[in-house]
Amino acid sequence: MMDFTLYNQAPARVIAPTTAEELADCLREASTAGSAVVPWGGGTRQLLGGPPARYDVALSMAGLPRVIEYTPADMVISVEAGATLGQVQDVLAANGQWLPWDPPLPRQAMIGGLLASGAGGPLRLGYGSPRDWTLGLRVALADGRLVRSGSRVVKNVAGYDAHKLHIGALGTLGVIAEATFKVAPIPLRRQTLLAAFTSPTAPLEAISQLRQPPYQPISMVILNAVAEAAIPALHPFLPDRSAYLVVAVRFAGTPGAVARQIRAAVAQCVDLGARAIELNEADDVPIWEAIADFTRPMGDLLLRVGAPIGQQREMIRLIEMTTRARGWATARMVIAGVGLAYARWPIAGVPPEALAVALAELRERLATIGGYAVIEALPDASGIDRDTLDIWGPSPESLALMRSLRAAWDPAGILNPGRYVV
Amino acid sequence: MIRETLIAALQSAIGPEYVLHRPEELMLYEYDGSALDQAMPDVVVLPGSTAEVAAAVRVAANMGVPVVARGAGTGLAGGTVPDQGGMVISLARLNRVLTIDPDSRTAVVQPGVVNLDLSLAAAPYGLHFAPDPSSQRSSTIGGNAGSNAGGPHCLKYGVTTNHILAATLVLADGGVVRLGSSATDAPGYDLLGVVVGSEGTLGVITELTVRLTRNAEDVRTFLAVFDDLEAAGACVSAIIAEGIIPAALEMMSGEGIAAVEASVHAGYPPDARAVLLIEIDGLREDLADEAKRIAAICTASGASDLRAATDAAQRARLWAGRKGALAACGRIAPHYHIVDGVVPRSRLPEVLRYSEEVAARYGMKVVNIFHAGDGNLHPLLLFDLRVPGTRERAIAAGEEILKACVAAGGTISGEHGIGIEKRDYMPWLFSAQDLGVFADLRAVFDPAGVMNPGKLLPRVIG
Repeated sequence: MMDFTLYNQAPARVIAPTTAEELADCLREASTAGSAVVPWGGGTRQLLGGPPARYDVALSMAGLPRVIEYTPADMVISVEAGATLGQVQDVLAANGQWLPWDPPLPRQAMIGGLLASGAGGPLRLGYGSPRDWTLGLRVALADGRLVRSGSRVVKNVAGYDAHKLHIGALGTLGVIAEATFKVAPIPLRRQTLLAAFTSPTAPLEAISQLRQPPYQPISMVILNAVAEAAIPALHPFLPDRSAYLVVAVRFAGTPGAVARQIRAAVAQCVDLGARAIELNEADDVPIWEAIADFTRPMGDLLLRVGAPIGQQREMIRLIEMTTRARGWATARMVIAGVGLAYARWPIAGVPPEALAVALAELRERLATIGGYAVIEALPDASGIDRDTLDIWGPSPESLALMRSLRAAWDPAGILNPGRYVV
Repeated sequence: MIRETLIAALQSAIGPEYVLHRPEELMLYEYDGSALDQAMPDVVVLPGSTAEVAAAVRVAANMGVPVVARGAGTGLAGGTVPDQGGMVISLARLNRVLTIDPDSRTAVVQPGVVNLDLSLAAAPYGLHFAPDPSSQRSSTIGGNAGSNAGGPHCLKYGVTTNHILAATLVLADGGVVRLGSSATDAPGYDLLGVVVGSEGTLGVITELTVRLTRNAEDVRTFLAVFDDLEAAGACVSAIIAEGIIPAALEMMSGEGIAAVEASVHAGYPPDARAVLLIEIDGLREDLADEAKRIAAICTASGASDLRAATDAAQRARLWAGRKGALAACGRIAPHYHIVDGVVPRSRLPEVLRYSEEVAARYGMKVVNIFHAGDGNLHPLLLFDLRVPGTRERAIAAGEEILKACVAAGGTISGEHGIGIEKRDYMPWLFSAQDLGVFADLRAVFDPAGVMNPGKLLPRVIG
């Protein structure tokens, strides 16, 4: 039995609809009754967002796990929102296809939740975000309307792309019932290099060179020593643990193209003073699962930081500056070439006010480069009063429009109240 | 009288020289790239800044006058035809590339920048703007965003929405708001995602931050020749099913091939039933492998010939044939109506054949010139509008083809938009409830309904 407790609040009821129509009916009734609903997929990202202002109903998506339609020759798949990503990947893999996404915990995480929480991973460099792969959605709005937008073909401009609004909206505009995606062929080969640097600046130089032609990496991450230590799967390949920073770079394509890139990239990293190794093809998938796993909730404060790609260097500097001054041992992973970073701040022995102050300081600095910081997870165990921590940071300029949109689709304010920006 | 008041107010808001109101000036703005719709605006303004756009919108909105934003007017669905009169805002003067950031691979541009000019400006950095509609020599980035334009290379690189990071939008009340962010995944609803493709119904875009794409290491272009239309369609489907995503996979059929050859001398065999233009790009080793697989698929599908462009000049010629195809078809008939439907790629052969049957039934010539790899059909119905009843027959024939696309699991527009032409077909795809949600969305941005009213949504919902 799944535990639907969230921030020490338990729902009065758990409802698990088994059809999209039932899902819509649940929401219509909740709207009429004014019951606050927390949509619940695999629960892997439920710590994103603030505590619910009210919490009456947990809406489990577990009863909607089906693949609706899949035509491998068209490279399009439609699934119910309660299918797990792992389950969908299995179906696709049988035909040499995949959704090129790599969020943590794919065997638990459900499609609807991944979309609603705007999940991503290092593959974004090569393949873009889930938004780019979503062709259409069927969504139950809070008032019980069950609606579609988009289509089941790879190109469509009929109607507004209303489905994009639900991606990353944390279920506050409606609950995703079904999703249609275009999918990609699994590359013939995927292979990874690991490079351990002792210089703090050389990895950035390496990343910058590996963004230039002829390299076409599909993922690049920079891990600091604390992050590297937290990913045991890396340790057999990096026996000398005195490295300052570790860079992992992943290539995909035909064996010839992958081999040329990886060899040149290894040489380039060595030139920059790294110890670099090329992993076997067999190690590729497990290593990246382990790396992606770094961004799941793990009992500390997990921050996601974003900035324009050209400001990547500065973004890293600002993150480090904020924690170094405080003597915090923070793990950090940069999803390079994408402009995203994840940082884990310790909570044990750190007063909540200190976290709030550090976060405010970081946000102020990031604002100067057009960046932001969001709390991705703050564990219950922290005992921190969430009112002292601002989860999402400054409001977007278009907040008034967002509010009126929400009022139009969730007039009773029942969906995840108090948890999102809007 | 109201018109005079409007003109005077606009003249004082943005200067008299940029307010057009004489009939001979307005005539230029009564049509777009579609042959089927025309309507005269009451006034046209050419603002030179976001503030001037906002000022003009405020004037119009206060008087309840419709506002229609217009880029180069190359749209193909009547989206910028002011069928309710009112004010056309031409973004032609906002035509500067403001910055190119090669490190972020982004550019900040004004909406009136011509698509190809942006790629030319980015070329010194080894970058380009990936969406490449066939109109790219004249269509603008703002217009591309408004209609979520596609193009041959969108098969691999995605359509316009995948390449817009942020935009400045003038709202119906004259307010100015910034949507999206150059920072990846900044929190907040993806309002930008609905504004792109909204055909000017949610506001007027006055600045865009766009993603630039790195030029590929190598490119190879092939022309596959077929004596059988359905075999060509099946070949397209087989290439995709094999797991190859070409950079572009274009098809041309029927009399269009000869017309293009006569006009562009691209090297197409004039007597072919269908040709495929196949382009792959990427790393050399990947291309060598893909080229081999594509050749095998073409042969197995019954291609009578497969030619590879051996140099950049040959490649450019093959593309000149594709990009000049619409104009070349002027040799066949004086007017055309280009249909823009999409079907699942596996359904291409049957829908292609059906489109020819429909055209024959309506006594029209048809040439299919289209983005086959996406399943995005463009049957080009050719006719002479001076023959009475032709316009109606063209519309009816297009309607039948689009209905077949929907029946095959597809859609009524892949890239040209809904505009006027297809607004009343929307209920084929969407329920009254779906459309009601679209209407909600529109009302959030534009409660008074002044932004390009009557476009995109059916005239009657439910």
